[in-house]
Amino acid sequence: MKKIFVLLLVAGSLVYGDGWFEEGFSFGAKKAGVKPVDNKLYIEECGSCHFAYQPGLLPERSWKKLMANLEDHFQTDASLEEQDRKTLLAYLIKNSADKAHQYKRSKKIDRSIPSSQTPIAITQTPYFKHEHYEIPKRFIIQKEVRSLANCAACHTKADKGLYSESFIAIPNYGRWDDD
Amino acid sequence: MKQFILAPLLVNALFAFDFNPQMQKYMQQLTQEAKKQNSNFSGFSYSRGEQIFTSKHIGKKGKMITCTSCHGDDLTQNGKNISTGKVIEPLSPSANPKRFTKVKSVKKWLRRNFRDVYTRTGTAQEKGDVITYIVNKK
Ligand code: HEC
Ligand code: HEC
Ligand code: HEC
Repeated sequence: MKKIFVLLLVAGSLVYGDGWFEEGFSFGAKKAGVKPVDNKLYIEECGSCHFAYQPGLLPERSWKKLMANLEDHFQTDASLEEQDRKTLLAYLIKNSADKAHQYKRSKKIDRSIPSSQTPIAITQTPYFKHEHYEIPKRFIIQKEVRSLANCAACHTKADKGLYSESFIAIPNYGRWDDD
Repeated sequence: MKQFILAPLLVNALFAFDFNPQMQKYMQQLTQEAKKQNSNFSGFSYSRGEQIFTSKHIGKKGKMITCTSCHGDDLTQNGKNISTGKVIEPLSPSANPKRFTKVKSVKKWLRRNFRDVYTRTGTAQEKGDVITYIVNKK
């Protein structure tokens, strides 16, 4: 039984390439590529209109900029009471990508952004663009997805911070094989 | 004839909605403010609320939008956020008992949603009217 399990692991590593090392099985548990959200207020407030993006997806300067203008947040009003805004900004800063280099994806996103730039959209970061430019437009604009900002539509374990290829299923397409 | 019988029933229904204490207090505050702003004010109106909720306006994005764009026409059913596609649970307290129980949440969403649809915040009368409409709509 144990042998079969080990075999499966080895087979998995061959199929998934670097996924095995980044987000694969370590002592039976899967290590997230980005730290999962662990704050109730954040999930309630920043998860009410869309997927609650992990703080480790953008650096501190980006969160500061985004949180300074919630009245005009991607053309919608997402304003908060000042006390809640401060609490959430502190949570974002503490867990931002530049402070979470122990998580592989956070490190890659952070490193990809030139220091002269402060993107407030994850989808505008160079690392994100590099990972997603190959996806045909029809899979993005279809109604089940609508926009690349809708991470959880394709990344089935996005809420666990798991973004590797083994957890991607594009609606009306299926598993993504990158070759 | 039928309408004559229905009209008083409807008025009764408006007053029958059972807000919790914090929401009752909020509705009283809105009533007082509305009186201050309009000396002719004589109570919140379901039909004015319906007009506020269903009429179309050029919103924050410069496009036509109404409250029903995200919440739908049937308030006992799920809606869908037109900006993001995310499902919105029913707004009607008859289908979703969590609605209109927390003043903080009601204030926050009315502020945001009025700005998205009307590009300004709502007046006390408008807020009271639209709440009256939502909680009583069958
Ligand atoms: C009232 C609705 C609403 C709330 C509340 C809200 N957002 Fe957004 N957010 C949006 C919309 C609309 C977009 C644009 C989505 C799109 O392009 O599909 C967006 C986009 C974003 C993006 C960019 C996604 C990308 O990479 O393109 C980030 C980051 C973000 N929001 C963070 C937050 C945070 C943090 C909070 C909590 C403080 C928050 N949002 C609360 C509506 C909201
Ligand atoms: C339309 C479906 C789709 C959406 C929406 C989407 N992704 Fe992806 N994502 C993919 C695919 C497909 C890949 C693999 C690309 C490749 O390897 O060629 C990928 C790759 C990634 C990777 C790198 C994984 C690896 O194994 O190297 C990360 C990190 C990632 N996405 C994060 C996100 C985040 C965060 C969001 C939301 C802001 C998002 N994605 C939205 C489809 C999607
Ligand atoms: C762009 C989409 C959108 C539009 C347009 C919109 N809303 Fe909302 N509304 C939301 C979202 C999202 C929530 C919170 C969803 C949740 O709590 O699940 C919400 C919540 C509410 C609540 C909260 C009730 C409570 O108990 O907290 C009220 C009241 C409300 N909306 C009224 C309105 C009114 C009135 C309008 C028109 C002026 C309107 N909405 C237009 C998206 C929208």
